[in-house]
Amino acid sequence: MALVKVEDLVKRYTPEGPNAVDGISFEIQKGEIFSLLGPNGAGKTTAISVISTLLPPTSGEAYVNGHDVRTEPMAVRQSLGVVPQDLALYGNLTGLENLRFWGEMRGLTGATLKREIDEKLELTGLTERAGDRVNTYSGGMKRRLNLAVGLLGNPPLVMLDEPTVAIDPQSRRYILDWVKRMKDEGLTVLYTTHYMEEAQELSDRIGIIDHGELIALGTLDELIQLVGQQETLMLQLWQGDGLADFKEAVQALEDVDQASIREGMLVINVPSAEAMLPTVLSQASALDHRNPRAEPGDRLPAPYRPRLA
Amino acid sequence: MRKLWILILKEIRLTFRDRGLIITMLVTPLVITLVIAGAFGNGGSGLSDIPVILINKDEGFLSEELVNVFAMEGVTPLVQLEVAPNSKEAEAAARARVESDDVAVLVIIPSDLTSRLYPFSETAQEILGVDFETWGEGETPELTEAEWQALSMAYVQSQIQTPAPSEPAEVVLYASPDWRISTMIVKSIVTQGLTQLQLTTQGYDAIVSRIIRAQMASGDLSMSDQDNAQAELADTFAGFGGSQGAAELEQSYDLPIRLRIKSPSGRGFSWLSYSAASQAMLFLMFAITSGGRTLLAEQEGGTLPRLLITPNPPLTILLGKMAGIAVTGLMQMLLLWGATSLVGAYWGAPVAVAISMVVLVLCASGLGAFISAWAQSPGQAGAVGTAFSLVAAALSGTFVPRPNMPAWGQTVSLVTPNAWGIEIFSNLQNGKSLQEILPLLGGALALTVGYYILSLIGFRRQFK
Repeated sequence: MALVKVEDLVKRYTPEGPNAVDGISFEIQKGEIFSLLGPNGAGKTTAISVISTLLPPTSGEAYVNGHDVRTEPMAVRQSLGVVPQDLALYGNLTGLENLRFWGEMRGLTGATLKREIDEKLELTGLTERAGDRVNTYSGGMKRRLNLAVGLLGNPPLVMLDEPTVAIDPQSRRYILDWVKRMKDEGLTVLYTTHYMEEAQELSDRIGIIDHGELIALGTLDELIQLVGQQETLMLQLWQGDGLADFKEAVQALEDVDQASIREGMLVINVPSAEAMLPTVLSQASALDHRNPRAEPGDRLPAPYRPRLA
Repeated sequence: MRKLWILILKEIRLTFRDRGLIITMLVTPLVITLVIAGAFGNGGSGLSDIPVILINKDEGFLSEELVNVFAMEGVTPLVQLEVAPNSKEAEAAARARVESDDVAVLVIIPSDLTSRLYPFSETAQEILGVDFETWGEGETPELTEAEWQALSMAYVQSQIQTPAPSEPAEVVLYASPDWRISTMIVKSIVTQGLTQLQLTTQGYDAIVSRIIRAQMASGDLSMSDQDNAQAELADTFAGFGGSQGAAELEQSYDLPIRLRIKSPSGRGFSWLSYSAASQAMLFLMFAITSGGRTLLAEQEGGTLPRLLITPNPPLTILLGKMAGIAVTGLMQMLLLWGATSLVGAYWGAPVAVAISMVVLVLCASGLGAFISAWAQSPGQAGAVGTAFSLVAAALSGTFVPRPNMPAWGQTVSLVTPNAWGIEIFSNLQNGKSLQEILPLLGGALALTVGYYILSLIGFRRQFK
């Protein structure tokens, strides 16, 4: 059974605004580490916010541990721990006080709470500094404490939103090792990052997200194969209002794997851009769009190409 | 409930670990209270149109002169004088208007003012006529010998009659403690009037003595049986001196008259007490709006979103946050109450003060929630909170006694917790009971409900 199930999920912040998450679908199996890989602004944090019940979805479905995020938010929250991108800690409280507070807010009490706190302090290497205010911690120590808070109560699903942003290599290594240890302990992890090598090192499966769309999904081998076999063609019409119809028409063509609209351009994933161009142009002509501007696009969002190659 | 308590404790910890907040919440209001009390402890500066009622119980001619002082040039812009009839009902009604702060001062001229000030007046008027003071140099009345003798005897007796009555007559200024500055102005007007009366009586004496001397010099007045009296008379003439200076709250003249200020509760206005309460309200507003700002700061910093995905209803999280801010505000008020009481401020009956503090803190936290719910960022909430707190304080009478504020200011300020706080604490300081201030507490609670309804609308919009 999938611990997380997302179906055609859409999130739009304003009725007229763009889709921050645009119809993504995926499942995460129990015990799996699943990474959402994408550049800043791709929609990773928004997707996590909807799955964690912080934001309501505009449309589509999302389930955690079998609970609907719309109708059973408390059950969903009970099933997950979130490590946010920001350091969501109280700087004027000590490390110990932070852990106690967040543990109590998760419903932990008495001996269970104490055991959890001791364990997390030991895991983060913060036992010696537990009585110091968080304001006095280094960036790496704060990141580790932030992670420990998300793990309090050992929830079945842990969602980590870019936990290694702006930290030193030593702390980063520490966190990556810890995530791997979580998998060994049977936890399920949804990990977001814009570092390809992190996704590569940690993940059982990777979903590549850009402009709110899940543009690729699979294991690392599957993605490399996919990227290796595909090219991207980008077209811009002189009359922008027919772009949606053009997309529908192109999507229906044989050999077009995926078509999407991005910043006023139609982006098409095809086996060969050069071979496909005449067919696409004739389709444009049939819809009365003359001489559209065409250019080859990136195979993947720029940050990942060198690393994948 | 347990989660609520955990959130409240967290808020208290965070607040009292912030040195900057401690200075803002506790040290600053205490220092300002002491500075203001020190600066204005003995009164203040000018005003206009002070509502005054005057009841003249004296039927003598001198009290008229005192009443006319209020009609003098330079005095009329200061005072709106209303002369009430001399009756018990009118006096009771006037006192009630002072007690309700409708009128600043009730001036009561005693029935024996003229006879005490100028015992000779009756005989002088009877023999010489009512306008004797207008006689010029060299003018003498045509009197019979019996009249001359009666006049000189009465005059001499009035001059040698010592000592004066043990209890001087009192001109009473029945004044509202909230109208401290106005009372000081009215007091100085009355003092000026009394000084004027003293000079007037001296003038009468001079006129009569001149008439008697002139008659004696002409040989028409037989002094055969009044040698001793004549000697006394000579001494008395030599003793005419200058006027008396003004005193403070209570002033006795050589003339047997005393000026006394009374207040309804018997407890005079105290700048220290007034400032303690009004400054506490101002800094409560600062603390609460600053606390409200932290809600947005937590939203921006990520702790609020993290709280909202813990397995707790969002309303609990929000209530916990607001309750934490309110409890912190209540602790601030209690500490300021204690600290200012130690230096002499009086807040009122303790139970009533404590209950009022709870209500006012709720009201202020409602305002804090309102600002947080509608502000776009912590910076905006901070700026709006500070600006609102200062304007509300100025309108409500934090820096000038509330009754001295213009009527429109007093009305507009009722949308602020400051105004209700100052009203409530002023009444308690004036000796009102909890029962008597219940309508005011009700007003503050109604405002609280209004704030929270608007806050809920704002929060629903912000956290939908």
